[in-house]
Amino acid sequence: FNTRVCVLYFAKSAELSGVREELLQVDTPINSQDLWTRLLGQHPRLLRVLQGHVVLAVRHQYVAIDDQEALTLRDGDEVAVVPPLSGG
Amino acid sequence: MSSQSPPLGASKKGRDIFKLSHHRLSVEDVVAAVGSASCGAISLFIGTTREDQSESGKVIGLEYEAYEPMVQSELAELCRRLRARWPDLAHICVHHRLGWVRVGEASVVAAVSSPHRHDGQRALVCLLDGLKANVPVWKKEVYEDRKASWKENAECAWASCHGNHDAQTMIGQ
Repeated sequence: FNTRVCVLYFAKSAELSGVREELLQVDTPINSQDLWTRLLGQHPRLLRVLQGHVVLAVRHQYVAIDDQEALTLRDGDEVAVVPPLSGG
Repeated sequence: MSSQSPPLGASKKGRDIFKLSHHRLSVEDVVAAVGSASCGAISLFIGTTREDQSESGKVIGLEYEAYEPMVQSELAELCRRLRARWPDLAHICVHHRLGWVRVGEASVVAAVSSPHRHDGQRALVCLLDGLKANVPVWKKEVYEDRKASWKENAECAWASCHGNHDAQTMIGQ
């Protein structure tokens, strides 16, 4: 694992994981499906409620969880776990 | 130090003003933020917290949280899209609550000013749709029995109730 990112948890995902923020060592490039699998490995409870209804945000851009695209991550990048939105 | 000129096509007077606040919102402040001598219309929206009923009893309040840097970037992008579609818009202002909000209080106040009302009214609807679909803010309802549940906007593409315009669902229990 050659890159260290900062993972942020919000709303339901913070309650399920029990943390708001943590550092994670990951490979880069990595697709979002594999990144999500890493997070589930850290916090299996995320799976129970969020699977299928969650996206990630990498450097403030939404990323769907799939194996379509490889993300290039850099040291210090923010990766947010984004449950369904309810603003407004 | 060099000064930059505004990009071609950008309204040199159009302001986009966003604020996240832990305190009571002021409708007057939002209206003042979009005021302009060239505008014949200010279109205004106030989102208030309803006293909903559930199996857990009445809603006693809401808790809001946000991914603040991304709220800024998403609202900025939303305003760019609005201005591209309605070039005559003057100013856009959104104030949104964070933290604990009691039932009956305003959770969001949004206003758009424009020379004539049609553009402003349409842009305001689009602004609210975009806010609900894309801006990373989350709302948790808290009930009389102290249970709580996170809400989901139907406008959000990854919500379980996506596409059902009148529905908000609760995730997890």
